[in-house]
Amino acid sequence: MSALDLPPRPRGRWKPLVAIGVILVITAITLSPQVGISFSFDAIVRNWQNGASKIFALVQPDWSFFPRTIPPLLETLAMAVIATFVASLVSLPLSLWAARLTNPNRWTRGIVRTLLNIVRSIPDLLYASVLVAMVGVGALPGIVALLLFNIGIIVKMVSENIEANDAGPLEAGRAAGGTQFQINRVIATADALPAFVNQTLYVLELNVRASTVLGLVGAGGLGLLIDAVRTFYRYDQLSLIILEILVVVIVIDNASDAIRRRLV
Amino acid sequence: MSVPSLFTLPPRPSRRGRVAVGIIVTLIVVAAFWSININWARLGSLPAEILRYLWLMFSAPDWRKLPEALLQTWRSVEMAWVGTVFGLIIALPLSLLSARGFAPAPVRWGLRVLFGVIRAVPEIIIAIVILSVTGLTPLTGALSLTVTSIGTLGKWGYESIEGVDPGPIEAVRAAGGSGIEVIRWGVWPSVTPEFISFWLYRFEINVRASAVLGLIGVGGIGDMLTSYTQYRLWPVVGVLLIVVVVVTMSIDAVSGAIRRRITEGATVRELDR
Repeated sequence: MSALDLPPRPRGRWKPLVAIGVILVITAITLSPQVGISFSFDAIVRNWQNGASKIFALVQPDWSFFPRTIPPLLETLAMAVIATFVASLVSLPLSLWAARLTNPNRWTRGIVRTLLNIVRSIPDLLYASVLVAMVGVGALPGIVALLLFNIGIIVKMVSENIEANDAGPLEAGRAAGGTQFQINRVIATADALPAFVNQTLYVLELNVRASTVLGLVGAGGLGLLIDAVRTFYRYDQLSLIILEILVVVIVIDNASDAIRRRLV
Repeated sequence: MSVPSLFTLPPRPSRRGRVAVGIIVTLIVVAAFWSININWARLGSLPAEILRYLWLMFSAPDWRKLPEALLQTWRSVEMAWVGTVFGLIIALPLSLLSARGFAPAPVRWGLRVLFGVIRAVPEIIIAIVILSVTGLTPLTGALSLTVTSIGTLGKWGYESIEGVDPGPIEAVRAAGGSGIEVIRWGVWPSVTPEFISFWLYRFEINVRASAVLGLIGVGGIGDMLTSYTQYRLWPVVGVLLIVVVVVTMSIDAVSGAIRRRITEGATVRELDR
């Protein structure tokens, strides 16, 4: 056997090719005009003139519009803060309830987890649009929508963190004769606190981003204004709002990063 | 000289920082509650009201609308799929260009700022901008999901490329490989599992987002849901919500299983003895 013989090629080299083939076929189906979304360049070319002027308006923000955007912007931030605050209050006990180490009862744990899985699979804006029809236009349905969305996220992440934590201290608590409630309150909560703070800050970031558009379905905040300027095709005003969202989101992200580094 | 007692406790760690943060957070929360214009009296009746509507929606769901609901869901999933595929095709080279060591610094920082801007703007606003060119069609939805996917896939991509073990890259360079060969043999094999996992995860996000995009009228399940909420046909709304939950959860389950299979490898089978 010569020294330059190459090792045999690994088997299964056809697998990626098959995967790519399947992806291409599905993409072709989704792009076909009969059953798909009919990707056509004609429409884009036809509307290009119309669209180009709008896009052009986007790069020239209407600064005189700025004062009118301030109250909705503040309302948006208030919605985000309130939803985060209430969600954090509700989520900590629910997270303890949903984790195996802090709730040994399989049935109650399963119920909480299933409910939260269902809650998590509906996007916030869909909640908002249904809630607006239920309780009327305003900030309240927006806050409730954010709340539902937040509880799902915080409880999932924090309860997973509790399960990943060292079970030793909890066993020590049990050995010392603590009831499950005492163990959860004194030991598990302290262990889960960094993860909890981390997730709460993360949810605040998500909320600031999400609350800016909740108004599109009538749930208060900056979105109401977005809806108005979009109906009148005032893309110069829209671009100012987008700029404000950008600034606010980036400021909040950085602030929450700074807090996170200090606390966690 | 007194011997320190065995029972002296160590000094308490300073709590000043935490107290300060606590006060600031409390002030912000109070200001938020104080500034917002809500009729708090309605809050008391809210749970009962929501329960009443839940009863209206789910006590007798109107299953006759199921076929149309499934068709619209298919539209939404199509938007998500096309958005993901286009997004990954565009994001792949961009994430390479924005990783350290593959392109000049101005290109790198420009792309990173672009990814950051895309991620900061909600997808529905991107859709509003795109719709001025393409109109209220599912194509608008697919294109705006493409743009948002580029934002996240680009960022995850360059982070993952920068985390690659430099050994294979050096080996390819030492063997005289060109830039393309470095990427193909030094970078690609190490990042593929992560990339596929990112793509699938982004698809899951896009499925949710595509339902939302329907709200501005680009079609799909979100569009149908807003219409029926506005008609106040609650039994149909109930069916639509059930469809959204079932479809989202099943796509998450399948995609999650594939992701685990790719990142963690096959489950170890019982060995033959």
